[in-house]
Order: sequence, then structure tokens, then C-alpha cells
Amino acid sequence: MPFYDLNVPWSTPNSELPRTLSFLAESYLIEPNADADVCAVGYNVVALNFTITGKLPTNFACAIPDPLPFVVPSKLTVLRRLTLVLTTPVNNAALTQLASSYDILAVRPVDEKSLLLAATSLDSDIVSLDLTQRLPYFFRFKTLAEAVKRGVRFEVCYAQGVGGDAVSRRNLIGNVQGLIRASRKRGLIVSSGAASAGACRGPWDVINLASIWGLGQERGYEALSEEARKVAVTARLRRTSYRSVVNVVYGGEQAAKSDKKAEIREKGIQDVQEKRKVHVLDDTSPAESEKPVSKREQKRRRKAELEKHAETKGSVVTPDHTKM
Amino acid sequence: MVRIKHRYLLINILYPDPKSTSGRPATKPGDEVPYTVQFRRPSPDRMDGGVLTRLIRDGVAELYGDYGSGKVAGSLQVKYFSQATSTAIVRVSRDYYRLVWAALTFATRLPNPVGQSCVIQVVRVSGTIRKSEEEAIRRARLSIRRAEAAAKSSNAATAGLAAATPQLLSTEDDDADMINGIEDPDDPRDIEEDLDDDEG
Repeated sequence: MPFYDLNVPWSTPNSELPRTLSFLAESYLIEPNADADVCAVGYNVVALNFTITGKLPTNFACAIPDPLPFVVPSKLTVLRRLTLVLTTPVNNAALTQLASSYDILAVRPVDEKSLLLAATSLDSDIVSLDLTQRLPYFFRFKTLAEAVKRGVRFEVCYAQGVGGDAVSRRNLIGNVQGLIRASRKRGLIVSSGAASAGACRGPWDVINLASIWGLGQERGYEALSEEARKVAVTARLRRTSYRSVVNVVYGGEQAAKSDKKAEIREKGIQDVQEKRKVHVLDDTSPAESEKPVSKREQKRRRKAELEKHAETKGSVVTPDHTKM
Repeated sequence: MVRIKHRYLLINILYPDPKSTSGRPATKPGDEVPYTVQFRRPSPDRMDGGVLTRLIRDGVAELYGDYGSGKVAGSLQVKYFSQATSTAIVRVSRDYYRLVWAALTFATRLPNPVGQSCVIQVVRVSGTIRKSEEEAIRRARLSIRRAEAAAKSSNAATAGLAAATPQLLSTEDDDADMINGIEDPDDPRDIEEDLDDDEG
């Protein structure tokens, strides 16, 4: 059960960051052979978040360098995320262009109009609101449900509330309650937004907080692991595959096309291969349910397809019915 | 017969800030103390069970007011505190342990005689103190082994020790197992109706 923390703010200079990352990284519980500089609070995947306010920059390169300028704990996977604060209206084309150099794209609406825009039309992976402010509007089920259907997830950041300021804490709790109620507990992820190691909390502590605020233990656990994983996977699919359906795995002489995941729902995209059935689930899981496909598994599949292809004609790939 | 049921929270106190004083024994100058050891350093001398109790009570009072304080006061007790490992076992009544857990999560610094910023992580919740103790012992062992491995690998620059010990990471996730997470499941005899309305 990997835990995801999809919001660790990135800024230059970043003297605090190696410490924060170490603090977040996972090593406790079971493994007696953890690497030297990994320390235990319990997250496996972390996304460094770079925030842009106002006008989009003309330079579309990723602001977070690759490889990172400091030592990252080895058990930790680091993703790169961009958060755009919606002070000015943005269109989808600019968004996709910007987003292509990052792993995850998030959007921060500042008022109700931009929230509506973000939920219904903008092509982002996460909608993140500043929940420590008093919001002058209520969350509506319709807006949130539509967003979740499209594959957008709403993010709750806990660091500012935990920091110690009573007003932020109160606002955070109130807003989170409203968000949970309006979203019917679906489509939420929780992340830290922790600028320093002192603002990080262990995943189980966060789940407990979420359950007190109304999300419940199960949903809270999902919010931290499953939903966040879905965000990361969908984001990657959006960037690498054709409309999140087809991904060319082996482009050799047999030109075998393989279907990476059975996810289609939010975009309502029709099936490209003729004989496959489209499985539209009303559940909001955009990617394969159980596990992310490991490299070994991918290799195995590729091999299986090639063999199958050698027997049959054409590039028919049987759908994986187990992934429901 | 009504028995008061408790929950025992095993907590770790982590110190995320770099140590301001350089009074570190047994390290060569220029030797980087790995983060593992830094975060889990021993608690300051002034820290003890009483300070922790005060921290929790103040936290509950701040978060939940008089209501929370009243609910929790009778059964709140720090059963065990180790300064060396910065570990503690706290007893709470079963119905309100989440309140205390939240208060611990919201704690950012230790109160005044100590005055250091800290992060409190709850590591285990169980119905008996024995389970918590066992977990504490297990973790202490693990961290010793880990610190040894860290020292060895920084000295010898080999991953030998690290590679030799088997990976026990379970790759087959049984999500049903993890739903309870760090909480020990209830004893079948003890299951009763959950009086806490707060949980969703």
C-alpha cells in the first residue's frame, strides 16, 4: 500500500527540501535493511509542486531540474507537479503544453467561477483549493461530481491547518467538511503541502484526521493511497498514450498494438480496436484497479502478445477482464 | 459487568529540526549524521511523561474545548515514556481515542520546560498494553539494526549488509488488511456498538 504525498512545495532556494523528503520517505515497519538516509514517516511517492500565479510563463520547460540537485531517499519516487493559480482565465491548449513537461498538473481556483471552470472544462489532474481561507461560496454536488467523472480529483492540504494557527485550522476543518459532504466522499485526495519537515505528518495520522473530519477510515485510507495513485497514473497516461487508450508498447515489425489499461470512462472515448468491448464503469476509477503495472509485468505482457500474435492474425488483444 | 475499555497508543516523537547545538558524541568531525538518526534522536533531558501528559491535555483543550477535556480526562494516562528512544505509550478510553490522536497530530512543539518543535507520529493502536509494548520493542530493534547498517555503509561504502538482509516488503497488498492499518483489530468479545458519532 504505497502512500502518496502529492504536494511538497518546491522553491528555490530549497535548503529545507532534502530534510523534508527524508522525513516523508518510507522505511519503517517491516524492512530491516533500509538504506542509510531513509527515515520513517511513511510515504513512497512524493510530488514536488511548483506554483505559478497569474500569467503563464513563456518558457514551457520544467522548473524542477532533473536530476534533482540533492540526494533523494532511495525508496522515494519523486514526481514533478505544476500548480497554476487561476487568477487569469486559461485555455486548455496552453495548459496541455505547459503540462507536458511535468508529471502532474494541478489547478488552484480562486473564486467560484474559476472553480466551475476548473471542474468542468479545464484539463487538469487535480483541483486544489486554499482551504484555510473562508470561502464565500458553498461546494455543490453537481460541480464536484462532474469533475470527478472527468477524472479530476480534489485535493485537501493539511499542512497549513496543522501548523498552529487557530483561524486556518477552523477554516480548514469547516471547508473540508463542506467538501466531503458535497463530494459524497468520492474523488478526494489528501496531501501535505508541507514546506518544512515539521509540517509533515505520518500517513496514518492524516487518515485519522480525515476520519474525524467526516471522511471515515476507509475513505481516508483510499484518499491517501488509491485515489492519489489514480491521479498519478491517469496523469501519466494522459501524457504518454493516445487519448489514454492506446499505447504502442512494441513498435517492431509485427506492429503489435497493445492496450495498456482498460480505462475509458471519464473521457467517454470510443474503442479503437474493433473486437474489444468497452467497459464503462460508473465507478470513478480511471486506471486499472489493483496494482500499477510493473516493468516485469509489462515485459511479460509484451511477450504474451507477441506469442499470441504469432498464432492469430491481426493485432487483436484480448481485454483484461480481471481489471474491473 | 461493564469494563472500561482502553486504547493504547504507541507514539514516536520525531524531531524534524536540525540540532542547534553540536553536542554529538562519538562522531568524527565532518561526519554527517544520517537523517534517520537525527529525526529519532533522544528527547531532551527535561522531557518526561508529565510533560507529555500536559501536552496532550492542552492539545485536547485547545481543539475540543471543555467537552473534549471532560471526555478524555478520566482515562488519559501516559503509561510509558522512554527518553532515549523518544517513544511513549498513552492510554485513552476507547471511545475517544481519535480525539487524543488528533490532538497529538496537531501538536507542533513540546511545552515550555522543553520548548522544542516536534512531530508526533502514532505508530500503533491496540486494545492491550502488551501489544503496544511488543511493538515498541520490535521497533527499537529495527532502528538499532538500521542505524548499524547506516554506520556500516557510510564507513565501508558497501551495500553488502543492506543487500544481505531479505526484503520483507509485502508486494501483495491485501487492501482489506490495510484498512485497519496500524490499529489492532478488536477482540471479538469486545465488539460493541460504536458510540462515537463523529466517524463517517
